[in-house]
Amino acid sequence: MSSTSNCVAGATRALKASPALRLPVQTPARRTFASINSSKATSASPTIAASGPQCAFKAGNNALEGARRTQLRTFSSSSSRRALKTIEQVRARNKGGPFNLTAAILFVAAGGGLYTYFTYEKARMARQRIANQNKGIGKPKVGGPFDLVDQDGKQFTHEDLLGRYSLIYFGFSHCPDICPDELDKMALMYEKVKEKCGDVLVPIMITCDPARDTPEVLKEYLAEFHPAIVGLTGMYDNVKNTAKEYRVYFSTPPTVKPGQDYLVDHSIYFYLMDPEGDFIEAIGRNFTADQAAKVISDHIKDWEKPLKKDRWA
Amino acid sequence: MGWFSSSTDDSGPKKTADGAFVAPTKTTRQKCYESRDAFFECLDRNNILDSINTKKGRDEAAKACGQADQVFEKNCAHSWVEYFKKQRVVNYQKEQTIKKIEAEGGEIIAPQLPVGNSK
Repeated sequence: MSSTSNCVAGATRALKASPALRLPVQTPARRTFASINSSKATSASPTIAASGPQCAFKAGNNALEGARRTQLRTFSSSSSRRALKTIEQVRARNKGGPFNLTAAILFVAAGGGLYTYFTYEKARMARQRIANQNKGIGKPKVGGPFDLVDQDGKQFTHEDLLGRYSLIYFGFSHCPDICPDELDKMALMYEKVKEKCGDVLVPIMITCDPARDTPEVLKEYLAEFHPAIVGLTGMYDNVKNTAKEYRVYFSTPPTVKPGQDYLVDHSIYFYLMDPEGDFIEAIGRNFTADQAAKVISDHIKDWEKPLKKDRWA
Repeated sequence: MGWFSSSTDDSGPKKTADGAFVAPTKTTRQKCYESRDAFFECLDRNNILDSINTKKGRDEAAKACGQADQVFEKNCAHSWVEYFKKQRVVNYQKEQTIKKIEAEGGEIIAPQLPVGNSK
């Protein structure tokens, strides 16, 4: 209790002391204001500055700033005018304001550059997303091990796909119209991709009709489209399993007699597989050779790991 | 039917020893497509759509375009002839359906490229 009262007393003392201390300062200040008011009419001059500490500072400051401003103005204008000799030159220079050709070019170039970059990055991200989406964790969703025979009668397995991109198509040599068109397209795609990215893509046709498509038949058939196309055939069960792994539907008529003439129904997609043998994208009939080649080359360009360019060379 | 595509006739698709057609080459395919187009043109002229599925159609086609049909059968494997004749009907129906949908104000959007189509 006593301590609080002491405190209060102390505070009061302090309060009392301060006005007493300030009083002598305040009085001259008040006097100064009066003097300013009286002398203002006669002259706005350093005499005011001398009259009071606060106002003097302000007034002096104002005067200084004003002086600096005028000085700056004269300095800057004189310097810019020094470079431009005639009034016409000045006018010509100031005509367009801050907009001139250099600024416009820089603006357009920067804008265009940014736009191109972002468009490119967006497309790349989308492709990467597709590639990653289809990159199976564990067992691949499309594709898998197979054991077939190529057009030269040599064994060809899923391991032969590794190291390069492959474009896999299921078809058969007796196909009336779609397969020949698609194989022509495949040859075009292969050429275009080779032109852009080098020899990193293997075009492969797997037959859906192993009964009639022997290695010799395939060799002769595919040579007409492109000599680079690898034709795969094999035992019926092996072919059927491969098709199943690639989610390809095909139907050979159930009871085929030797010499019988028949067609095979099958799904028509190009399967793009990456150098690790994983499925990337299916390319349908609606793609033109150019569009498909672009899709493939873009994926190939995204690939960062090494490619075995000379594997089949 | 066999005598249209007998192996003694060099112009049509060849047959192997067991009687099957050999795989067609570019030339035989081209020849087959040409005779198919000629036959279909004849059907168009005579307003015949279906030359295979109904007896009436078969008879009409044989009467109006028998000659072209024979050439068609000679130049193509039998399975192809069947396939093309059926495809003609299917394609026509497809066209009609598309027209119908468009007449009703619907729109058919062809499947687009998923990515990479920005040029």
